[in-house]
Amino acid sequence: MRRTRYKLPKTQSVFTLNITSMTDMFTILLVFLLQTYSTSAVEVLPEKDINLPVSNAELSPVKALNVSVSRSELKIEGRTIASLDNGEFQGSDIDQKDPNFIKPLFQELRQLQGKPGADQSAAILLQADSGLTYQALRKVMYTSSMAGFPQLKMATVVGE
Amino acid sequence: MRNRRYRPQSTLSHEFELDLAPLLAVMVKLVPVLLVSSAFVQMMMVETDLPQAVKEAVVRNEKAPTANLQLDISGKDGLRLILALTGQAPTVTLIPNRGDGGFNLSDLHARLVEIKTAHPDLFRLELNPGANIAYRDIVKIMDEARKAKDSKIHFPVTDPKTQTVSETDYMFPNVVFVNMMEG
Repeated sequence: MRRTRYKLPKTQSVFTLNITSMTDMFTILLVFLLQTYSTSAVEVLPEKDINLPVSNAELSPVKALNVSVSRSELKIEGRTIASLDNGEFQGSDIDQKDPNFIKPLFQELRQLQGKPGADQSAAILLQADSGLTYQALRKVMYTSSMAGFPQLKMATVVGE
Repeated sequence: MRNRRYRPQSTLSHEFELDLAPLLAVMVKLVPVLLVSSAFVQMMMVETDLPQAVKEAVVRNEKAPTANLQLDISGKDGLRLILALTGQAPTVTLIPNRGDGGFNLSDLHARLVEIKTAHPDLFRLELNPGANIAYRDIVKIMDEARKAKDSKIHFPVTDPKTQTVSETDYMFPNVVFVNMMEG
């Protein structure tokens, strides 16, 4: 008796991938991304250790010198200028005769203003932690105006 | 010969599949573009971008102020509004804190609406916060003073040249920290 050779059953080699569920997911993702799409001309990145105050302000940020004040650091354009101790400026950074004058901030701002091509009517975009007191902020505002930056714009976040 | 009635072929399938591949291809391209340009934290700025008529009225009021409005902010006593009309004794309104110690912002807003209704040419608010007042509270108070919350409330702005009256919901967009230069 002749043995029959085992043959694989004939299966269809063409198959279609079901992409309906993937399309569903992409549609949801697309709607979400369209909602958060930013058309602002100037992109300002919030500092990671700063909780900005919540406001109903509707104005997008404009080009300005970025000054950020957290509970531990004062920065200009990301560079640390002075340090704070739990939201208060350290005595070594404050002028002995004028308690509102932050010496390193003044020096840095004057340097920036003295640079060739610097905008003389430049404004400051202040990113300050919402938990800071007016006492600390007043020092920054006072020193900035003394250094020739009287225009101050406060960065806030949309919420509530 | 008998006419045979037409019958549709029953072998035709009524099921069909929509080709989603091109749609998916578009989405795959769109998603990375939108991911790059999305702002997940929407940052705004506290400043007043005013309509032209309001801007002109603010300048006119700056040149010839008819009244002065100051708001003292104290963590202990609450809010104190001082309205000083030219040639008259100032009127002081005290807005005590709520029971939980927070500022009574709704009462402040109501009082500011009253003042603005009585003096529509006044746009400047002088803030005098105490040293220990938190920044978040100052921003909230500025929010209350900037615009009328009720969309039905509007304040008249008259152009002295053309005598045309326009309306605005801005109350006190011009905020000045009066004690900034104090020692």
